[in-house]
Amino acid sequence: MRLSLAAIRECLDGAVPSAIATCAADGTPNISYVSHVQYVDESHAALSYQFFSKTRQNVLANRRAAALVIHPETAARYRLELEYLRTETEGPLFEKMKARLAGIASHTGMGGVFRLRGSDVYRVLEIEPVPGRVLPAAPRPNLLASLRDCAERFTQSGDLGTLLDSALAMMDKVFGIRHSMVLMLDGTGKRLFTVASRGYAESGVGSEIAVGCGVIGVAAAQHTPIRITHMTSEYSYGKAIRESAERDGLGSLLETAIPFPGLADSRSQLAVPIAVGGRVLGVLYVESPQDLRFGYDDEDALVAFAAPLGLAILYLQHSAEAHDDAPAPAGAPPRAGGRPVPIRHFAADHSVFIGDDYLIKGVAGAIFVRLLRDCAERGRTEFSNRELRLDPSLRLPELGDNLEARLILLQRRLAERCRFLRLEKTGRGRFRLVAERAYALSEA
Amino acid sequence: MIDAQLAAFMTRGVSIIAASRGPGNAPTIARAAGCRLSADRGRVTLLLSKSQAGALLESVQATGAISVVFSQPSTHRTIQLKGADARVEPAADDDASVVARYADAFAAEVCPLGYTEQMMRALVWAPHGDFAAVTFSPSAAFDQTPGPRAGSPLKA
Repeated sequence: MRLSLAAIRECLDGAVPSAIATCAADGTPNISYVSHVQYVDESHAALSYQFFSKTRQNVLANRRAAALVIHPETAARYRLELEYLRTETEGPLFEKMKARLAGIASHTGMGGVFRLRGSDVYRVLEIEPVPGRVLPAAPRPNLLASLRDCAERFTQSGDLGTLLDSALAMMDKVFGIRHSMVLMLDGTGKRLFTVASRGYAESGVGSEIAVGCGVIGVAAAQHTPIRITHMTSEYSYGKAIRESAERDGLGSLLETAIPFPGLADSRSQLAVPIAVGGRVLGVLYVESPQDLRFGYDDEDALVAFAAPLGLAILYLQHSAEAHDDAPAPAGAPPRAGGRPVPIRHFAADHSVFIGDDYLIKGVAGAIFVRLLRDCAERGRTEFSNRELRLDPSLRLPELGDNLEARLILLQRRLAERCRFLRLEKTGRGRFRLVAERAYALSEA
Repeated sequence: MIDAQLAAFMTRGVSIIAASRGPGNAPTIARAAGCRLSADRGRVTLLLSKSQAGALLESVQATGAISVVFSQPSTHRTIQLKGADARVEPAADDDASVVARYADAFAAEVCPLGYTEQMMRALVWAPHGDFAAVTFSPSAAFDQTPGPRAGSPLKA
């Protein structure tokens, strides 16, 4: 049977560098090492183009190349016969390889040296196993069985918050991935906000990453999984967050008010877009303090995991707005005990401060203020998603902004930062604002 | 072209990969399992497994063209030699000891980087008596250490 490239993907990941042979126009052979070979599909692979090397000169003159790749665990070797097709200098493949290369470069002390100029795409003509000694591979977790396990549980969540928490619990319990989070794209399509996380000292719910910055931001912007096998400062959170702030100017100091929850000693990272019908809803992000923790198979498994997750998110979002349950009996009216706590609202960005503490901003901030006013002025405590969606003062987009995700964000920020206000779910598309102390809302 | 220091580098536990030109200018490639030099360092001999490097040996035989990289994994220092007069010969009687010494040195070089000794020995293993010798006189040498200067001619 003909070997497929997918069957030997572990050999391409750069754990052991691969050697590439080419011939010049006059037939003189040349060899170079490459840090990794990128799997493109069953019959295509890509090599990084970093310098105008002899290899590149040769394949432009004579398209044939040969690669020698090694399985990092079993020492199985394969010879690949390749034919150069084209060079890509932007887009998903390029960004994927750029992130990978940055990780490998920093791991090997070549941070300042490696820079991706292009992704050279080759057709794989032949894969030939090199005879020799091959070690047995350690038994590997059955990712397909894990996925099935998850697929069966996806249907059991009744609301978005539970769905996201259970998705991250599955990452942990089924896949053994301890550190994970889900970020949702906001209505502008420019920012991602953390809505659920697992395995961190601080939840980081509400922290933001600009689309296009860092591993997570690039995954959303390019609509492609980004996997890093050796973490690099080039894609560090600090850098991504700094760049986000720079991109938006000084007005965005609040972007960093909620610290991003990522691991300080992260070594392996994988960001997978959650998308439905070609539209990115958010990003599922996992990381590990271990090098080479996530391979091609893990990437496949998480992509396959993210697909039904996206559908479930969309379904729960629509169902919360389209078919709300009957209103719950009114809860207790706000208790006006004690000195009212000042709550300030800044209309420019809808940022809200409880006392001196920053709580939230943006759409979630606007929603929160609307709830507080209704509660204070009209004694209302019961609300529905649908009324918020239809409220012209909130100016929620018809589609694209995940209202349910905003409410989860608000609910979680309150749970973490405020002792006397909370949101409780009372049914599908219904929730209650509980105020246990008097507050005085003011416009700043 | 090859000074004593470079000769010492080439015969240490460095990774050795050879390439030649097959039919239709398609390159052939294989890993070598040891290297020795003539007393005057004018001729370089690589030891390759016949069962693993069949196509490469054929193309060397047919064209005499060869390219070899010697790369030290711990430092990334990489040298490439080229030659046009390569010939395939039977391995010499004491080449088995060159191969055995090389396997020891290679494992000692690479294992501290996190690979298992078993894995590194499997990588350079070949059946007993399976080795052929490829000998050539280097006509060019290049510094191939990763970076913008990779590919520049080696200064003697």
